[in-house]
Amino acid sequence: MSQPSRPKSPDDQTGMYIRVKRNKTTYFLQCVPSETILQIKEKLHEITDQPVENQRLILLPNREMLEDSKSLADQKVENDAVVALTLRKDDNEFEEVNIVRPNDFYQSREADGGSNW
Amino acid sequence: MKKEDTVMLISAEGFEFVIDKKAAMVSQTIRNMLTSPGGFSETEHGKVTFPEISTTILEKICQYFYWSLQYASGKETEFHIEPELTLELMMAANYLHT
Repeated sequence: MSQPSRPKSPDDQTGMYIRVKRNKTTYFLQCVPSETILQIKEKLHEITDQPVENQRLILLPNREMLEDSKSLADQKVENDAVVALTLRKDDNEFEEVNIVRPNDFYQSREADGGSNW
Repeated sequence: MKKEDTVMLISAEGFEFVIDKKAAMVSQTIRNMLTSPGGFSETEHGKVTFPEISTTILEKICQYFYWSLQYASGKETEFHIEPELTLELMMAANYLHT
């Protein structure tokens, strides 16, 4: 009798993506659950030119700081997750999480008489 | 992923979405912009501005691009769309040939 094929777990090694946000910018990154946070930071380095050691990643909405050595799966970072990026400032401290949301702008746009679509 | 392999899509309110070119090319309109010889001036710098598309909709569209790639590779999940976004999203999808 043939072995029934094992069902694939949906998040096994299949591709996922996360949304890394800072100010008005969102970076979509393709990744796999076994990737470490350090690897994610290296990817961000390639597109933002920010050195890995100047980046800090924080999982939203719980504001959990993500550790370099752990994997995405370890820290429950799932497909489509939103992660905040903060950078080291001149005084060596990291900046606060700052993500601008589009809703903050609706008021002023309506005042401008701009079309809504 | 190298910088050259990404493209920045900019919404009506000036919000920026940096996505993989492969994902962006799910849209026939963006594909044409990125691949046509001579090229659109914006795409040579890897930036495309959509003054008509709001931030919420543009983000949804980017999520759709990535979902679409996952779906094409055999991961059959549903794509959730909030009812209040449907109309705007359809108009944008029509424009983007997505």
